[in-house]
Amino acid sequence: MSDEALSRRGFVGTAVAAGVAGAALPLFLTGCSAPRREVTIPVFLDQAPDGPLLTAGLVGCGGRGTGAALDFLNAGPNLKVTALGDVFPDRVNACRERLNRDKGQEIPEERSFVGFDAWEKVMDSGVDVVLLATPPYFRPEQFAAAVDARKHVFMEKPVCVDPTGARSVIVTARKAEGLGLSVVTGTQRRHQRDYVATYREVARGRIGELVSATCYWNQGKLWHRDPNPAWSEMEYMIRDWVNWCWLSGDHIVEQHIHNLDVIHWFMGAYPVSAVGFGSRHRRVTGDQFDNFSVDYVMEDGRHFHSMCRQIDGCADNISERVQGTKGWSNCQNLIADHAGKELWKYQYPLDEEGNPTHAVEVSPFLQEHIDLVTAIRTDKPLNEAEATAMSTLVAIMGRISAYTGREVTMEEVMGSDMRLGPRVFAFGPVDMPNEVPVAGQPYVART
Amino acid sequence: MLRWFLPGLLAGCLLILGSGAVMTRTSENSFCDSCHMHPNAASRWKRSVHYDTRSGTRTDCVECHLPPKGEGLLVAKAKAGARDVWGKLTKDPEAIDWEVKSQPEYARRHVYESSCKACHENLFPATLSKEGDDAHLYYTNYAESRDIHCINCHLNAGHHIEGYVPGANMDFGLRAWVEGAVWEEPARVEEFATFTETIPGTTVSFTMMAVPGGRFFMGSPPEEPFRRENEGPVREVLVDSLFIAEVEVTWDEYLAFYAMTSGEGRSTDTEGMRLEMAGVDVVTGATPPYGQPDQGWGLGSRPVITVTFQAAEAYARWLSQMTGKRYRLPTEAEWEYGARGGTSGPYFFPGDPREYEGRGIRRLLARPDTAVINRYVVYAGNSRSRTAEPMRVEANPFGLKNMLGNVAEFVSDWYADDAYARYPEGVVVNPTGPAEGTERVLRGGSFRDEAGRVRVAARAPTTTDACLRTDPQMPKSIWWYSDCNYIGFRVVAEYDARTGRGSNDP
Repeated sequence: MSDEALSRRGFVGTAVAAGVAGAALPLFLTGCSAPRREVTIPVFLDQAPDGPLLTAGLVGCGGRGTGAALDFLNAGPNLKVTALGDVFPDRVNACRERLNRDKGQEIPEERSFVGFDAWEKVMDSGVDVVLLATPPYFRPEQFAAAVDARKHVFMEKPVCVDPTGARSVIVTARKAEGLGLSVVTGTQRRHQRDYVATYREVARGRIGELVSATCYWNQGKLWHRDPNPAWSEMEYMIRDWVNWCWLSGDHIVEQHIHNLDVIHWFMGAYPVSAVGFGSRHRRVTGDQFDNFSVDYVMEDGRHFHSMCRQIDGCADNISERVQGTKGWSNCQNLIADHAGKELWKYQYPLDEEGNPTHAVEVSPFLQEHIDLVTAIRTDKPLNEAEATAMSTLVAIMGRISAYTGREVTMEEVMGSDMRLGPRVFAFGPVDMPNEVPVAGQPYVART
Repeated sequence: MLRWFLPGLLAGCLLILGSGAVMTRTSENSFCDSCHMHPNAASRWKRSVHYDTRSGTRTDCVECHLPPKGEGLLVAKAKAGARDVWGKLTKDPEAIDWEVKSQPEYARRHVYESSCKACHENLFPATLSKEGDDAHLYYTNYAESRDIHCINCHLNAGHHIEGYVPGANMDFGLRAWVEGAVWEEPARVEEFATFTETIPGTTVSFTMMAVPGGRFFMGSPPEEPFRRENEGPVREVLVDSLFIAEVEVTWDEYLAFYAMTSGEGRSTDTEGMRLEMAGVDVVTGATPPYGQPDQGWGLGSRPVITVTFQAAEAYARWLSQMTGKRYRLPTEAEWEYGARGGTSGPYFFPGDPREYEGRGIRRLLARPDTAVINRYVVYAGNSRSRTAEPMRVEANPFGLKNMLGNVAEFVSDWYADDAYARYPEGVVVNPTGPAEGTERVLRGGSFRDEAGRVRVAARAPTTTDACLRTDPQMPKSIWWYSDCNYIGFRVVAEYDARTGRGSNDP
């Protein structure tokens, strides 16, 4: 197939006409030394095809969950959100009003569930799809229950906070595969058209064999909540969740997983070990670090470096970069040779005046839901859960290394029984240690 | 031309139809069963989950014991048929040890994993249990690199095995209780003499032999048959007097410990280990095993097997607490001193290892005369691939049994190839081995070893990863080896020459 025919619009047109909307296009790559590798380039639609009514239930009605519900509703015709669940009533109410105001969804009181068991009620409410957007700590259990109940799933990244959770998600992912269910996981760069187009070029060998990579999520301070005398410790932690390791996995897991996932995707492999640094300079609440720097090593000896930070007033950078034998790419829209000469650039759509815009045609957040609904309606299951669990586990491996100061291997984390979080869930005090980790050992004077 | 065509066509058709019929006929269960002489192969199959299935679908002999079509079926069938015919004509079924052939390492040669997976396409059915989740995830991660076969966990899938537990064996050892009076006091040791230890609160007792200290030459000379480089250089060593257990720690002894301490951690996680690592001064007991630690060979006075080095040390600590004595694993030097019993040859009994060895060119010419070695050692030549009760062999000059065979024994030294060369010159006094290492030393061969490897001087490192190869638990057990059924241990007790007492009680 020629380059011309592979252009998105051209191919989508053909695909729709042939009735195989959403089909993935396998691309066979050959190299002089490398073994033949098959990669899959997704084909994107601007709207999911029509079909019988699909209903979704939302678990976790905060900003992210509400956004996911709206994106689901915007993905195509004949889609409804019919149940909501959250531990907090204010979250459920705000979400219900928003879905009503923006999309005219009428979700009755009796399908708006509150409490630690709200998610089970959502799953029992007869929906076809569940949208999981609670803090990631809860994901493995909810995902397992959703697949057990034969639901298609959209779940936010990261998909767990510890090795026990990662293994659970991997197993559930395989069970979902056996059941023909579709799972999309909130690593939206894989649904972002400029990234995918760049991936296709890199996979074709535009920059030769990949030799190393770097990825960054360096930004200012994220949000926090101050304690409120009206809240129990449990309520406070959950409302302040991006600052607590047991709930979020720390920011290398919670946020930086996006960039790590891109590196795994482009390099076609996961690292086997990590040595990381990290510390806490300015975080206000919780028990997490606010910066990490990790050197990851692949099985074949290639290294890649990961950096993330959440501190105001520092150099910001959210991006990835892969280095090949013949050049480099920013993974998003640009490929250049070693001399810096541009070899390829993503063609963004033009605005009304004919000038290129800087955004893809369809927001990747919406595209995820278009792709999920398309997969369900065309019965071509899409299942990202295992890949995202592996990327989450890589982030966890880096976190553990930074917390302890030790080298940590994939084999270790894959076999670790580490499980974070309290054993009992109820509003009240949370019985678990929550000191900020300190790497290494203290100096002991030798006399 | 034409007159040959029709008869030729007919003959061809007959041949094809005939060979098809032969293929079918020789693949039927009744055909297999008409020759196959394993006792109860068919009846145990009928009691297995592959016959008595929930859906009523029956799985036939050839569906497991031959590969799927297109994956070497014909070749495998021809080979298996030839082997079976040869066996039928030349072998005496009574003389074949079918139980050994049922062990995974033998059985896997006759069970095709490709056939398992041809039917069981989905290793993660939605109904899989939590334990199954972990085990199958472990399998998919490591089947190739760690050489794991489905039957490592599903040995009973095709033929029923009484009491087989593919998973956490919560009930193991709980009903093992030796009949008899419960001891109230440990043995009192007032002089350096052989005594019978009695573990308070249990019915278990065992004999500790008084072994007077002395000098001996540790290691083997370069000219010793089957010698390996790590057995030298020979060093003169002085060992203090001590008590050495007459026999390897038995299941009865170990299960007394297991029953009394496992309350600390009656789960499959490693909580017990964490307590210990935190420096808390308690003896924490083993968690339940995964599968059959005794391999179905029986408990009682057979040596304990499949317990880890850490479990062996925990046992010795517990025994010390229970008896007020200083029990521990022997050092490598103490072990060899005890095993030699004052002798200096390859064995403590007469004979040349080359005469006893069951492998090699000599064995093509004549069977070995093993009358002497059979009196003292449980080894490959007489063990039927399993442990034996200690009463089967005679003791060495110090009164110790099974130093050279039955099960290999942990000693407390870290392993190094050149451990002996590292000691300073002159007579080495009570050596304890290298200061650090990654694997311990195993001494004394086992029921799996040929005569050349049950020599007194033979030594080998433990192989921790290999011993845990098929353990799918996360993390792997620190108490039980999933794969080393040939390792046990023996305890020694220290003797205090100044007080003349064998105890450290206050």
